[in-house]
Amino acid sequence: MPESTLESFERTILPLLDDAYSLARHLVRDEHDAQDIVQEAYLRAWRHYAAFRGDDARPWLLTIVRNCSYTWHRSSRRRDTVEYVDQEHGAGLGLQRPTDADAIESSDRSELQQALDQLAPEFRETLVLRELQDLSYKEIARVTGAPIGTVMSRLARARRHLQQALGIGAGERR
Amino acid sequence: MTSEHVRDELSAYVDGELPPDRAMEIADHLTSCAECASDYAAMLATVRTVRAEITHHRAPDVLRARIRTSLREEAREEPRDTVRRVAVGPRRRWRIPWNAVAAAMLLVVASSGITMVATSRRTSDVPVADAVLTSHIRSLMPEHLTDVRSNDQHNVKPWFNGRLDFSPTVPRLEEQGFPLLGGRLDYVHGRPVAVVVYGRRQHVINVFSWPAADGGSTTKAPQSRNGYHLEHWRQGGVEFWAVSDLNAGELHAFAELLRRADAPSAAPSQYAP
Repeated sequence: MPESTLESFERTILPLLDDAYSLARHLVRDEHDAQDIVQEAYLRAWRHYAAFRGDDARPWLLTIVRNCSYTWHRSSRRRDTVEYVDQEHGAGLGLQRPTDADAIESSDRSELQQALDQLAPEFRETLVLRELQDLSYKEIARVTGAPIGTVMSRLARARRHLQQALGIGAGERR
Repeated sequence: MTSEHVRDELSAYVDGELPPDRAMEIADHLTSCAECASDYAAMLATVRTVRAEITHHRAPDVLRARIRTSLREEAREEPRDTVRRVAVGPRRRWRIPWNAVAAAMLLVVASSGITMVATSRRTSDVPVADAVLTSHIRSLMPEHLTDVRSNDQHNVKPWFNGRLDFSPTVPRLEEQGFPLLGGRLDYVHGRPVAVVVYGRRQHVINVFSWPAADGGSTTKAPQSRNGYHLEHWRQGGVEFWAVSDLNAGELHAFAELLRRADAPSAAPSQYAP
């Protein structure tokens, strides 16, 4: 019964469109890319809908959106990113060095948006899934395929970076 | 427990993601260590700021429409016995693919558009239909649907003045369930054409129009391709194409309404000198 399946898909998955689009926008930034990604994600979701058990639609859909974003990212002509290595912890926070184009563009963006843009994708996605989508660590681990401990440390470090970028210290802002 | 360990865990502490016994230890520590307490306050302030300021993007309506359309197309491609029969070479090329029509009606379509196009060049029906359909699909992309956005014919019609060498007909069909959404300038076979955009539920209808190479009135058989339906007619020296993913029946009814509204008695002067 394809009609009823499509109806059920439209009832449960389609209302999550804003969440899906928001995640894509934060991952790829360009609104047209984000739209293409979300459309592709919805098609994939529809094709795999039979395998969806109906438990947690949001993490399920966001996983697909996230994977589509990275497929898109790899296949498209994105500029190279530069990783900075955090000597103290031996693991890179992967801050991206802004290009000239970014610098010009950035004058229109909020302080927070600029700070978010500096985060490497794995840190940004973790933060967005937590602060914007309000997912639990367990759900974030499921969406990103990272262990919960990694989710925890990525989130902590992403927040540290934002804290510095926003000039928040010792309990007050700036 | 050291302050350094506590600082590493403050983020998870704020989220309530630590095991209860560990959370208790940290709560304890925060009452006695001023440095960590200050760190905790900064972490809280950061989380609050980010949550308050991070952008929640709203998906554009056009994206919603595109997704619904592509879902419906996908769903239709699933094999169904009733569908297979029609796929066998229709003898008349204007034959309506009933599978598409049935699917469109059954599946509660989300979005569609109707567009009217007109050009002066004489070209065969098929390429024009393709060009019109391409334009219709392009119009569903972000920010492409309308150049002038208005549900008032008195705004839409004058907007074309000076942009085109003729003035398209813009009847009000709101009471019949086809609200006017706006208009835009488009190109079909290299000629600027008028596109008047109507809505039907969440569907978009693009109505293309342009001066015909010769006068007279004809009504062509409806066409369907890729899940879109097209109505084509010539009336009062103007070519009209209406395109939408609205079901064929309703699109046909819409075309009838337009033809009646545009009949010579109802609209004596459609053209700029």
